[in-house]
Amino acid sequence: MFGPRIVGDNDVELRPPVLEDYHLFRTWGMQPEVTRFWGPRFTRETPATAEERLKKDLEGQNLVFWSIAYKGETVGLTGIFDISWTSRDGETGIFIGRHDLHGKGIASEAVRLRMAFIWNELRFHRAHNWIALANRGSWRANQKSGYSQMGTFPRSWFRSGEWFDEWLGEAFPGTFPADRLPSPWRDEEHPK
Amino acid sequence: MALGGVVRGKRTTLRTPVEDDLAAYSRWMADLRVRRAGAIWHEPAMPATWKERLKEQAKEQRVVLWSIETDGRVIGLARAQLGNIESPPGAHLQHFIIDPEEWRKGYGWDAALALHRYFFDYLDLQRCGLELRADNAAALRIAEKLGYTEFGRGHEVHYRDGAYVDESWLLMQRTMWNERWAESEREYVPIGAGR
Repeated sequence: MFGPRIVGDNDVELRPPVLEDYHLFRTWGMQPEVTRFWGPRFTRETPATAEERLKKDLEGQNLVFWSIAYKGETVGLTGIFDISWTSRDGETGIFIGRHDLHGKGIASEAVRLRMAFIWNELRFHRAHNWIALANRGSWRANQKSGYSQMGTFPRSWFRSGEWFDEWLGEAFPGTFPADRLPSPWRDEEHPK
Repeated sequence: MALGGVVRGKRTTLRTPVEDDLAAYSRWMADLRVRRAGAIWHEPAMPATWKERLKEQAKEQRVVLWSIETDGRVIGLARAQLGNIESPPGAHLQHFIIDPEEWRKGYGWDAALALHRYFFDYLDLQRCGLELRADNAAALRIAEKLGYTEFGRGHEVHYRDGAYVDESWLLMQRTMWNERWAESEREYVPIGAGR
């Protein structure tokens, strides 16, 4: 399923994806600049299959998926996948496809919005993720919203002569920093 | 791939699953002891659904299913994903289920050792990974004896039996196989050794 629109700070918002976003996702996944830690840089998807993929995600019961917008323009995607509704746990992921916008704090803000929704609307117990250890910006973005390291998976990717390990993180409702709670959950008039 | 071939242990044999095994599969998946111990392979279902699942399994490109038998009766199943595109060639053991009525007889250890011999001695894989519930002492003991080490621990991952339980993420490297088992666990004698 798709998540609702959540407006954050610094011109970042999460919003339900539209068909045009799926064309962007496919194109970004083929670019060397953004696939250093996101492989394998080939796909079975074509422009014709984008709609099919959108419908599959929309009807999926074990995922919540958003586009990330910056200044009104789609620049990435995020979500929670492989949800176990029994254990109330799922794997989160984030991808900023516009490499020219890396380092602007977009991922940190998107993670903050995503996690606030997961804890306050889905009543999750836990979330976890796998991120390249060398992709410091990405796991730092997750740390700011309460993720902590629970292990390291060796040799996940080989790139240009080097093996890269993965940072394994997990988060719980109680690890989300209360002072970073976004609107509407922090609003005084919000019916908690 | 898809449906596994024969791998012989000392007391058990992993072999190609057949439709006659499916009633036992369904019984195990409905058993709370199995469900408490680890991940099940599908929910219990009618025989026609299980037949369909077996057909679908046969189409799998990278995931292999074996039945485990001893003395001509099926006592378990194993299911592993083989090969990787990006990381070193390896296996991920997704399901390893022994009939609860056959627990504590050493069948799990025997079948696990045989299966890992297939991974390392036959397929030349570089590593094998799995996840175990942190209170599954029997499985953890087998994993430790084989040579697995923990690389991560998820806290409060699975909810069952009224409480959450941690999950241990384990990895066994080929170097460990070589150190512990390569001498004694060969499927074939070296060419020319018997002459």
